[in-house]
Amino acid sequence: MSKTTSVVEAINVTKTYMLGKIPVEALRGVNLKVETGDFVSILGPSGSGKSTMLNLIGALDKPTSGTLLIDGVDIGKLNDNQLADIRLKIGFVFQFFNLIPRLTAHDNVELAMSIANVGKAEKKKRALDLLETVGLKDRVNHKPAELSGGQQQRVAIARALANNPKFLLLDEPTGNVDSKTASEVLSLIKKLNTEKNVSIIMVTHDQNLAREARRTVEMFDGQITSDMVNNQ
Amino acid sequence: MKTIDIFGYAFSAIKLRKLRAALTTLGVIIGIAAIVALLSITQGLQATLTGQLNQGLSANTLIVTPGTGGALAGASSGGGGGGFGGGGSGGAALGGGTSSNSGFNLYVNYTSEIDALSPDITSSLAIISRTGYIQTGTLNRTVTIYGVDFNQYSQLYGTTFLAASGTIPTSPAETSAVVGTRVNQPGQNGTIFFGAGDSINIIWANATVLPPVNETYTSNVAGVLGKIGGFGIGGPSDTGVYIPIDKAESFFGTNQADMILVQLKSSDNATVSTVSKLITDHFSNQVSVISATAVLSLLTSIFSILQLFLGGIAAISLLVAGIGIMNIMIVSLIERTREIGILKALGMKSRTVLTIFLGESVIIGLIGAVVGIVLGWILANITARVLGSGFFGGGGGFTITPLLTPEVFVGALAFGIGVSVIFALYPAWRASKLKPVEALRYE
Repeated sequence: MSKTTSVVEAINVTKTYMLGKIPVEALRGVNLKVETGDFVSILGPSGSGKSTMLNLIGALDKPTSGTLLIDGVDIGKLNDNQLADIRLKIGFVFQFFNLIPRLTAHDNVELAMSIANVGKAEKKKRALDLLETVGLKDRVNHKPAELSGGQQQRVAIARALANNPKFLLLDEPTGNVDSKTASEVLSLIKKLNTEKNVSIIMVTHDQNLAREARRTVEMFDGQITSDMVNNQ
Repeated sequence: MKTIDIFGYAFSAIKLRKLRAALTTLGVIIGIAAIVALLSITQGLQATLTGQLNQGLSANTLIVTPGTGGALAGASSGGGGGGFGGGGSGGAALGGGTSSNSGFNLYVNYTSEIDALSPDITSSLAIISRTGYIQTGTLNRTVTIYGVDFNQYSQLYGTTFLAASGTIPTSPAETSAVVGTRVNQPGQNGTIFFGAGDSINIIWANATVLPPVNETYTSNVAGVLGKIGGFGIGGPSDTGVYIPIDKAESFFGTNQADMILVQLKSSDNATVSTVSKLITDHFSNQVSVISATAVLSLLTSIFSILQLFLGGIAAISLLVAGIGIMNIMIVSLIERTREIGILKALGMKSRTVLTIFLGESVIIGLIGAVVGIVLGWILANITARVLGSGFFGGGGGFTITPLLTPEVFVGALAFGIGVSVIFALYPAWRASKLKPVEALRYE
């Protein structure tokens, strides 16, 4: 992981939605490069195009034009199945946690590995290890409803890490937890970045949170308006 | 994703909504149970009837009756009386039809003409039959009186025209008689009114003279047959009284046979149909010739239609169940839109989503089919017991054993799962086509 390569590279990416019959230009020529091991936050108000950016970087959607490389692969040229395979390399952490309610913390983490065809014994061991890493060793068999917001978010992070992703993609990771929990979650993210060298891309509208990243990319009106390294 | 994981996930989704899944499955259960119950009863009935017919009707025997048409109808409704008709209704059937046809008569001595028709014919035997009564002590019972040649008859029906007590005389006296087991023991309950060696009065209401008179003679019972059961078309019957053919001719005052049984050297289809045609041609199409093969094939075709019909009705209920499955899966798919979005965001392929939804329907179909088959089988047995316990006034002697053939078992299983899967195809396809971005945004 020490070799510096781009996990994400956007070259002149545009995205146009059709809102009814009216085309909406959500992204208007975005250029961005995220290196392995980096910790980047994408900051912007609503309507700035950051959610669109999130969907594209998460390989949930394809750009209208331009080139978007994820782990060196141009996702614009992929079909649905290939896109699904790319998503296995991305650790998606959602704002609303998006755990499967009927599954325990352990099974939620295992599910991600089931999708990636990981063997049974390895799934079990790795799920336990990951839940330990995020500090939920004693909540393994709890269902999401039995966990606090912060705990659910940590399960979601454990799940995102399950398949050794190229990078973690976080959407407002502290948007639905209180400030104390938020700082806990944030320190976990930082720890993953510094100690385990996990590349992190975090999308948020929260300036303070964005400043916690090593680098902040600001977006406005579908374009990147600033890209600077934060003073830590 | 591995198959076991797919099914595990599908099962967890079903478990979450137990009541809903149970009700959906119930639809399949009812449909499959109805199909299995109806088919296994019909097949059991068919097997029973076929078995009994095979007993009463040797495959190498042809039955020649005067007149065209109607013979088979008569045969199946009366004949021996062991079946649906129960006790006294016997005789009229094969015997009764004689006078109704265009002046053609089948005479007892036509047997020699028939014997000469083909080298495939071993022998032929004339039967005169009338409905009459027997009377002894307090017993007064309606029976069918058959005039037959005892030797030839026992040669034709070696397994059924057998005395359980007494003997079947090889050179019978004029007054000898052999009776079926339900003649001296009508209830088949141990109450025996007379036995071999006893005398009984044989009575026939002679309506050929005016006013009708009751003709009576006293007969010595030489033998009582063992229990035969079933339909004795031409063959021995439990309610039959057998007297020598010569006596029948003088007693009934006729030399017209009600039927002539023709024994063939072979029971293969070619021989049966060739000889049948020879006989009908010989009598200028004035006789009907029925064979076991013909009766059985008719029976088989009747039952195939019956099965198709009943199975079809039951299948409609399964179709309704299928629509229920589709309905519930569409609801489920809408409820789980977000979940599908999550799965796709985690890297699940569309076809895996499709398989999960189809997997749920396979589980429902499989459980429904298995439970339905068991339930249908229980239902069939209960029904068979009710029918067998004299529901039709049969008074025993006629039992249906439901038959669950491997074909019905496998078919029901496949049909249950198949219907479930087919009706789940559309919801599953829709689920698989959901766009992850939109599905994730769904509240």
